[in-house]
Amino acid sequence: MPKPVRTKAGMKTTVTGDLRNGICVDCNIHMKVQKVWIDTKREVDGNTVVTPKLLDRPVCPKCGGMIGQLIVRITPIKSPAPPECLKCIWRFLKESIFVALLSAYHARRVAYAQSNRPENKEILERYRTGEPSPKTIWQAIHANIKLKCPICRKYDKDPLLFRR
Amino acid sequence: MAQTETWTDTGIAELILLLREEAASGMESIVGLVDTDTCVAAAASTFADPAEAATHAVANGLELAAIDTVGGDTVNTAGDTITFDHVFTATGAINIVGIHVCNNDDDVAFIECCFNALLAMANTDTLTIDGQSTIDQA
Repeated sequence: MPKPVRTKAGMKTTVTGDLRNGICVDCNIHMKVQKVWIDTKREVDGNTVVTPKLLDRPVCPKCGGMIGQLIVRITPIKSPAPPECLKCIWRFLKESIFVALLSAYHARRVAYAQSNRPENKEILERYRTGEPSPKTIWQAIHANIKLKCPICRKYDKDPLLFRR
Repeated sequence: MAQTETWTDTGIAELILLLREEAASGMESIVGLVDTDTCVAAAASTFADPAEAATHAVANGLELAAIDTVGGDTVNTAGDTITFDHVFTATGAINIVGIHVCNNDDDVAFIECCFNALLAMANTDTLTIDGQSTIDQA
């Protein structure tokens, strides 16, 4: 029996999401949910078929905009690939520690941004967008400590380096 | 908790049915998952039984709906990716922990995604979902 062909990565799925409030990002006034014609799109036989549908959307009474202020953006985190050799185990361990720290940071960031909605309090933009995200274990440790420290968050200072 | 997303076993089975031209339907619907705490996406989850104690939202704008945009894209090889975009508009307070991306018959969840934190949505809040799935042979 022939050996099955293994793809390198299989099925990869990425989902991102923006949570926004009902205050117009341009006019800073409360929007109202109303039925709006929205073009829904599907690809059929290589062509994009547009079907208008009546859907609920928040609409700004002043400018007609439908975009609210960003509360928080959720961040997908890629889990480390399983080790395929003995030498790769150390790299896998390092990547696993990094992913654990990064996950803790983003979970805490999303909760923090939600408890400080833009209509109530101004916080650092990085905690709403998740960018820049820590790239190394060291950066992730710093980011977690900074996010836990209210004074460091307020003055945008790294508690270990005493700078941004 | 990391955000987790996965194709479900039933989703892969539905995909194989589509390839075999058996009775099946493509990606068409999306629904929010509600729970009191975060969940972890599992391949064993089904449309009727989402991850952990999560259930499908049935009100406040996060209930089952047709996805706004479903399209094709290219990541590595031509046409290897499906993209889906959707905007949920909350019409009341609701706690969302993830989403299910479902078929047109609304009986199979292709993809389950659990967010890295519970999203507490208030009336008029919007949640814009932007997703893509690639079958990679690169």
